[in-house]
Amino acid sequence: MSVIRHFVKKEFRQVFRDKQMLRMLLIVPIVQLIVLGNAINLDVKHVRLAIFDHDHSEVSRDLLSRFRSSDYFDIILADQSKLSALMDRGKIDISVVIPEGFARDLGSGSTAKAQLIVDAQNSNLAGIATGYVNGVFGSFQEDFRNRMLEKNPDIKSKIHSVEVVSRVFYNPEMNTYFATIPGIAVLLLTIITTLINALNIVREKEIGTLEQLMVTPISKFQFVMGKSLPFAILGYIELAIALAVGMLWFKIPFAGSFLLLAFSAALFLMTTLGAGLLVSTVAQTQQQALFTAWFFLVFCIIMSGFLTPIENMPTALQYLTYLDPLRYMIKVTRGIFLKGSTFFDLKYELAAMAIYGTAMFALAIFRFRKSTT
Amino acid sequence: MNAVIEDSNIVVETHDLTRKFGKFVAVDKLNIAVKRGEIFGFLGANGAGKTTAIRMLCGLLEPTSGTGTVAGFDIVKQAERIKSRIGYMSQKFSLYNDLKVEENLEFYGGVYGLDSRALKQHIHETLERMNLQHVRTKMTAELPLGWKQKLALGAALMHNPDIIFLDEATGGVDPVARRDFWDMIHDLAAHGKTIFVTTHYMDEAEYCHKISIMHQSRVLIQGKVGDLKVQTGMKTVEELFKHVVTQGDSA
Amino acid sequence: MSTSSPMIAANDIKKTYKDTDALRGINLSVSRGEIFGLIGPDGAGKTSLMRILCCLMSFDGGTATVAGFDVEKQSGEIKKRLGYMPQRFSLYPDLSVGENIRFFASLFGVERDAYQTRFAELMQFSKLEPFINRRAAALSGGMKQKLALSCTLIHTPEILILDEPTTGVDPISRFEFWEMLRKLARQGVTILVSTPYMDEADKCDRVALIHKGNILAVGTPSEITQEFKHSVLEIEGANLFDLRRDAETLPSVVEVHLYGDRMHIVTSDIFRCQGELQAKLGISLESVRKVAPSIEDTFISLLK
Repeated sequence: MSVIRHFVKKEFRQVFRDKQMLRMLLIVPIVQLIVLGNAINLDVKHVRLAIFDHDHSEVSRDLLSRFRSSDYFDIILADQSKLSALMDRGKIDISVVIPEGFARDLGSGSTAKAQLIVDAQNSNLAGIATGYVNGVFGSFQEDFRNRMLEKNPDIKSKIHSVEVVSRVFYNPEMNTYFATIPGIAVLLLTIITTLINALNIVREKEIGTLEQLMVTPISKFQFVMGKSLPFAILGYIELAIALAVGMLWFKIPFAGSFLLLAFSAALFLMTTLGAGLLVSTVAQTQQQALFTAWFFLVFCIIMSGFLTPIENMPTALQYLTYLDPLRYMIKVTRGIFLKGSTFFDLKYELAAMAIYGTAMFALAIFRFRKSTT
Repeated sequence: MNAVIEDSNIVVETHDLTRKFGKFVAVDKLNIAVKRGEIFGFLGANGAGKTTAIRMLCGLLEPTSGTGTVAGFDIVKQAERIKSRIGYMSQKFSLYNDLKVEENLEFYGGVYGLDSRALKQHIHETLERMNLQHVRTKMTAELPLGWKQKLALGAALMHNPDIIFLDEATGGVDPVARRDFWDMIHDLAAHGKTIFVTTHYMDEAEYCHKISIMHQSRVLIQGKVGDLKVQTGMKTVEELFKHVVTQGDSA
Repeated sequence: MSTSSPMIAANDIKKTYKDTDALRGINLSVSRGEIFGLIGPDGAGKTSLMRILCCLMSFDGGTATVAGFDVEKQSGEIKKRLGYMPQRFSLYPDLSVGENIRFFASLFGVERDAYQTRFAELMQFSKLEPFINRRAAALSGGMKQKLALSCTLIHTPEILILDEPTTGVDPISRFEFWEMLRKLARQGVTILVSTPYMDEADKCDRVALIHKGNILAVGTPSEITQEFKHSVLEIEGANLFDLRRDAETLPSVVEVHLYGDRMHIVTSDIFRCQGELQAKLGISLESVRKVAPSIEDTFISLLK
């Protein structure tokens, strides 16, 4: 135990003496959170919407005004004959065609149809825009139904229009900070802890002190713990900073248990620090370590569902995301942070992270050699 | 006469120690015997096989064939036990430049498992012996090269090892600091420590009792420095080395 | 240029870094075809002086000329005539021997015809011919230095400035490297070379011992050792450590150094010392021999 304590002491002395490194570890994440928290905005505003009203009824005008009054849409006025040309040139994101007889069908109780045409080049945007349009239709239908019921309570059975209910959970103001801040926090934690462990060990390899350590009688376990523990502590400091920024700057209420979050972070840090250690067993130079770690990190970030919803990925790749530790940690962190999820709510994610962490750490210890070739 | 030096106890011994990397034979049937209290110089050009041999002796690399013992322990089966009996100081000095002088000693002593009382005492003794008390709290990076070497030696001695491996330890340092350094090495040897020096600087070899010249994975000649000079009629180790290696190449 | 004027001349060169004086007024002069050695430990100021002479670094006082041109004002003229091999000469490890030399030829704008003759000459000179297609990374330390020297020589410079070219090179390659320098000097090339190895002084025509930015002595190697005012006696035998302690107490003894089974006694008076050794320590005259002081002995005595 005392050997490990000396390692912790030494690493902290070195980290705290390197002012440049300290700025990177403590100040850069704060700036990153604030800048990225505003930059990564998963909300879509100003969707360019073209509406072609062939019904010219009171009902269709009501629908139109609902679109106009929404922040999310910029209404483009155009002739329908030019629709496909406008879409080709990327002038329109989405269009709604209200056919003749729309109001009549709705009033008579048969299903009224409207056409939705979406530019799906950016599937993310398309998905979200479609959702918004559906939302407007949903509230429109509900209001229409209520009005009809008021006028004539008996008509109930005759109204066949589908009831679309759209509700926004956990983030009633549709504030995307809520979703992005915990995500970015986990992202920073992943990058910092993986890289710092890999680069630190490879640096010792470069300056020759690693060889010096190899001729001492320390055990593999002592070495691995001695290297990982200080950076795990550093990881917790990072996490605390990120939480503080989220709660104080972005004013996101922390709904769950700090203890559960700390426990989840322990499982997760085993994965990232283990990955860093694993990289250090392969890389001879810091440059190699940086690139190798980067491949792992890019996979983790892209497949985590943080930037692209997992549901939008091809099915085969969706299965691959189960291999991404970040996927679980983001879900767990969001869950604890925003929903106040409990251990039992998150038991599958936590189990996956425990397996992943143990495996990664064990593999790293196994791969690490106290000898050279 | 000093009893320690009379002691013919052999502390480093190898029999046909061989290491291959694929088809390349890096060390070919190495046979050496080093006595307690001896300063043994292991000479050779870069790539002659010195580093590979040293790594096998320090338990960092397994031999392909042959056997060896260091401090009475088998280099294959008891490699980890060897590590607590040896001190190692390499050309790179293996110190942390961003730690203070005493922090380097503290760390290495801690790694060797010294408890806090022993640690405190050993740091004090080492600083005293190396004459480094006045720079105790200085950053290692700021020390002149000669002092860094003394510090590195001090760090390698923190756990009171029987055998000290010096891997090209005194290249480039100023002559006064270098003589001080070797005075300390002779002091250690006189007190029963065995010093195993690897170097390709022939002037370092002049300080050794015995030398072994390695060339292209093999030992060409081995013996007392004075005897070898007489045998070959050479005045310096440098000349001796050139003589032996040129003969080895033409043979 | 007349043959008498020096190829390299430095007058009272001073250089100060933040809070340390790297050079404290250096004077030296090297004539055509001479091998001049700068000998001193790490941090003595060798590299600073060389970089100033190569027009790579500004300095705080004094003047210097190389090939008769002023270092501060005529760097263009100097660079045409100068080959500089820095301490960590950077060859491209993934380029072959031939490719490395061609690259340096292009840097110096060597014309095609001139290049081909020069390349052939250098390959023969450095004995690298069999390795033309080998990657630089796969060369031994000694061969790398020869390749580095060849790259430095591709534009046929009149003056060579070499910063520790033999550091980390094995004795055989070191010997061969010095042979190459000797041949170049015979062709009239002026060579300024630095080394931390005292024993390499003998390979130079003249040397300067340099320490902490000062030149301690300048002259031929034998002139330098004459600066050593004491004599050195050698005693051979086992278990010298205790004997050394006793020897140090003798009044005529200045210093004692141990070299394995040999002991060097530095004394101000040989006869008195021999007498004391015999009388007080029982060492017979026959087991004591006088040896020539080394450059290292001289260096140390000059420091004191």
